[in-house]
Amino acid sequence: MSHGFHVKNETARKVSSDTFFRVFSVSVEKLLKLTVLALILLFILYPMICIFMRSLYVENGIGFSNYAEVFFKYKENFLNSITVGISTALLCTFLSVCTALFVYTRTGKFKTALMAVILISMVAPPFVSSLAYIQLYGRRGWITYRLLGLSMNPYNAVGVVLMQSISFVPMNALFLLGILSKIDTSGIKAAQDLGARPGNILKDVVLPMMRPGIYVTLLLSFVRSLADFGTPVIIGGRFSTIASEIYLKIVGYSDLEAASTMNMFILVPSVAFFFLYRHLMNATGIMTDSQRTSTEPFSLKLGKCGLFGFTVVSAAALFFIVMALQYICIFASGFMKRKGGGYIFTTEYLHELLKYDLSTMTRSVIYALIVAVLGTFIAILFAYFTEWRRLKGRSFFDCLVTIPYMIPGTCFGIGYILAFNHKPLALTGTGIIVIANMIFKQLPTSTKLCAAAVSQIPRAQEAAVRDLGGSSLSVLKDVILPGLRPAFFGSFSYNFSTAMTTAGAVIFLINPGKKLAVFKLFDAVYSGEYAVASLISMLIIVIVLAVEGIVYLLSWKEKENVS
Amino acid sequence: MKKRFFAGLLAAMMALSAAGCSGSTEETTAAVTETEESTAAQSEAESSEAESPEASSNDEAEVPELSGTMKVVATSEDYVTLFDKFTEETGVDVELLSMSSGEVLSKLRAEGGTPSADLWFGGGIDAFMSAKDDGLLEQVTFDAAEDLAPEYKDADGYWYSKGITIVGFLVNEALTGELGIETPASWTDLLDESYQGEIVMSNPAVSGTNYAVVNALLQTMGEEEGWNYFEQLNNNIAYYGKRGSDPLNKVTSDEFAIGISYIDRGVEATIEGSDIAIVYPEDGIPWVPEGVAVFKNAENVEAAKYFVEWLFSSDDNLRMLAEIDKKDGIKLIKPSIEGIELGYDTAILMKEDLSLFGSEREAVLEKFETLMGAKAEE
Repeated sequence: MSHGFHVKNETARKVSSDTFFRVFSVSVEKLLKLTVLALILLFILYPMICIFMRSLYVENGIGFSNYAEVFFKYKENFLNSITVGISTALLCTFLSVCTALFVYTRTGKFKTALMAVILISMVAPPFVSSLAYIQLYGRRGWITYRLLGLSMNPYNAVGVVLMQSISFVPMNALFLLGILSKIDTSGIKAAQDLGARPGNILKDVVLPMMRPGIYVTLLLSFVRSLADFGTPVIIGGRFSTIASEIYLKIVGYSDLEAASTMNMFILVPSVAFFFLYRHLMNATGIMTDSQRTSTEPFSLKLGKCGLFGFTVVSAAALFFIVMALQYICIFASGFMKRKGGGYIFTTEYLHELLKYDLSTMTRSVIYALIVAVLGTFIAILFAYFTEWRRLKGRSFFDCLVTIPYMIPGTCFGIGYILAFNHKPLALTGTGIIVIANMIFKQLPTSTKLCAAAVSQIPRAQEAAVRDLGGSSLSVLKDVILPGLRPAFFGSFSYNFSTAMTTAGAVIFLINPGKKLAVFKLFDAVYSGEYAVASLISMLIIVIVLAVEGIVYLLSWKEKENVS
Repeated sequence: MKKRFFAGLLAAMMALSAAGCSGSTEETTAAVTETEESTAAQSEAESSEAESPEASSNDEAEVPELSGTMKVVATSEDYVTLFDKFTEETGVDVELLSMSSGEVLSKLRAEGGTPSADLWFGGGIDAFMSAKDDGLLEQVTFDAAEDLAPEYKDADGYWYSKGITIVGFLVNEALTGELGIETPASWTDLLDESYQGEIVMSNPAVSGTNYAVVNALLQTMGEEEGWNYFEQLNNNIAYYGKRGSDPLNKVTSDEFAIGISYIDRGVEATIEGSDIAIVYPEDGIPWVPEGVAVFKNAENVEAAKYFVEWLFSSDDNLRMLAEIDKKDGIKLIKPSIEGIELGYDTAILMKEDLSLFGSEREAVLEKFETLMGAKAEE
C-alpha cells in the first residue's frame, strides 16, 4: 500500500497501518455479519413466508378459514404430537446424558471405539435403518420375539417414542461430549483430592456443568420429535401425529394449503418451547468468565458411583447394544440370503451392487463436503455474532435459525420450490438449491453446537488479544476459531453424515440428471433388492467414516503444530 | 431503528413472496377454469395445433427435429432401456428420477405452472386425473391414439395408459401356518375373524392400487353393501400404511400375515425364495391403469409429446415396455397389438368405471378416513 511513499517516521507508519487494519477488520466483520444474516433471511425466513402465504389460500381468495378447519380436524393429532414430543425429549435426554457421561469417563482405546460407534450411528440410511429396527424389535423381531419370546406390538405411540429417542441419541451425545470436553476439570480434581465420593462428584459437580447442554438437548429433541414424520409413518400403526398427517396431506392429497396450515400450527408449541429454553439458558448464566485451569480428562470409576453410576452404565450400555445390533443387522442383510427356513451367507448381492451406477456417490460426497464446510462456517460466524458479539435481535435470529427443525423436512423442501421457482430467484433444478436446503435444514444443530462452544470460551481471552493491539478479526481468528475445534469436528461430522443420507426434502428439489446416492438406495428398494440397499448403505457409512477420519486427523495435526 | 428495519424487511419479503408464489397460482386457477369450459379447451387445442403446423402436416411417422434433454419422473429406474432406445432414435437425452405420484402432484402444484420435468411415466391414474383437472397437463394427440381402447385413455388426450397394475393378497405362509389360519382366497374370506389384526393395507390416499380396491369394490358391491364391507374389514386391518409399499414390507419381514398389495415385477423379485404366496382373489381383481402424460409448460414439451406418440405408435416399443414390466395388460390398452396374449381371462378383472375414479376420489377418501378413524383410538 504505502510502498510508493517515503515515510520517515517509522512509528507514524505503524500507527497509520494499524488504523487501516482496524478499519478494514471492522468492515470485513460487518460484511460477514450482513452476509450471514441475509442468507438466513433468504433461505429460512423467505421460504417460511411462502409457506405461510400458501396457508392463506382458500377457495375464493385469501383468508384464515383453513386454520379453523385444520384445528378442529386435527386437535387429537396435536395432542398426540405434544405427548410424544415431551416423552421423547425426556427419555432421549436421559439416554444422551448417560451415554455422554459414560463415554467421557472412559479412557484409551475403549473410548475411541465408543466414539466410533457414535459416529457410525449418526449415519442413518433411510429405509434400511427402520427395516433393521423392525427385524430386531418388531412383532416377530429377532430380539423381542425369537430371543425373549415376547409377543408385543410396537406399532403404537410407545414404539414411536422409543424409536425416536434412540435415534436422536447419537447427535445429542456428541453434542454433550463437546461440552464435557471443555469443562474445567480442576474443580473435579480438587473434589477428588478432598475425598469426595465419585457419585457425588458426578451429581454435584459434573451434572450442573452440563446444564446448558441438557437444555439444548431437551429443546432439539422436542422440536425434532414434533417435526419427525418418518418414525410415526414407519412404526405408528394407527397412531398418528400431526407431522405424519402433514406427510399424508402431501403424498396422499397433494393439498399444499392444508399442509402449510398444519405447519403453522406445529410452530406454536415449538416456538413456545424455544423461548422457554432461551429463558432457562439466560437464567443459567453460563460460566463465560471462569478462569479455566485445566481441561485434562479425568477418570472416574462409575462402578463406585452407587445407584447413579449404575443407571448411567445401564442406560449407556442399552444404547450401545441397540446401535451395535442395528448396524450388525444392516451389515448382515447385505450378505445373507433366505433359504428354506434359515439363512445362508452369500456374496451374490455384492456382485449385484457392481451393476449399479454408483457415479452418484461422487456427487453425494461433493455436495456433502460443501454442506459440511459451508454449513459449519456459517454456524461458527452465527454463533460468534449472536453469543460473543451479542447481536441485537439475537433471540429472533436464533429462533429463526431453529425453524427448519420445527417443520417436517418435506415441507421445508416444498417451501423452497414455492420460494425459488420464479424470477428473480429461479434456483430450482440447480445444485445450489439442494445444497442450500441441506445447509439450512441442518443449521439449527450446527449453530447450537458452535454457540455452546463459544459460550465456553473465557471472555478474558478477548481482552488479552485486544491489549496486544488485536482487532476484532484477530479475536475471531485467534480466540474463537481455536476454541471451536471440537465443535468444528462435531458440526462437520453431523452435516456431512446427514447430507449423505437425507432424502425427504431433497426429493422435491433434485434434478433428474443430478441424482444423489441415497436415491440409488431407494431404486434398489423399489426393485425389491433390499440386500443391495443394505450394501449401498454400508458403502455410505464407510465413506462417511473415512472422510470424518481424515478431517479428525487434519484438525488434530493442526493442533499439534500449534502447540 | 433496528425494529423498524426488521419490520420493513419483513414487509418486503411478504411482498416478494406474494409476487413469487401467488402470481403463478393465478395462472393455474386460470387453467382450471379453462378446462372446465369445454369450448375454451377446444380453442386452446386448436391454438396449440396452430403453433406447431409442421408437426401436424408431415406426420408420416417422421422424426421431428428434437434436441436437448427430456426429464422424466417415473415409478422405477427399470425403464432406462426403453428410454435408451428413444435416445438412439431421436438424439434426445433422457434423465430419470423415481418419485411417487403423490409427490409428483405436490411438486407440480408447488411449482405453479413451471414444472421441472417434461414427462410423467407411471403411477396410479387418479393422480393424472387430478393433475388434468388442475390444468397441469399438456394435450397430446396423434394418429395411433385411435387404436387405443377408449376406456384406458383420456378422451381429450391429456393422459394415456402405459399398463395396468393389478391387486392381490400377499400371504406369508410361514406365519399363517404358525398362527393356524387358512390362506384367504377371496375378498369375502378376508372378513373372517381369524384374520383379526393380521391384515395390512395402505391408506387409499397414498396408494393408487389400494384406492382402486376401495373404488372397485364399491362399484361392484354397490355403495351400501360396499361400505358395509369396509367397515367389517376395518376390524381385521392392523393398520393402514402411509406408504404404498407398507403391506409388502410388513409381510416380507414376517410382521403381518396378509398384505393387500399391488403385484408387479418388483414385488415378485422381493418375495423370490421366501414363503410368501401371491393370491389373486377369486371374486375379482381390482386394477388401476398406469398413466403417461406430458407436463404443461415444460421445458422440452416437444420431445415429451413425441415420446408419447413414439411409444404408442410402434408395437415394438410397446412390446419392449411390456417386457420390462413383465405385464401383458398392454393388450387391453391396444387390442391390435400382436405377439402379446393376455395371461388371464379379462373376466377376472373387476368391472370398473374409470370415469368415476377421479370424480369420486375426494368423497370416497373422506368417507374412508372417518371409517378408519373409528378404530384409531386403540
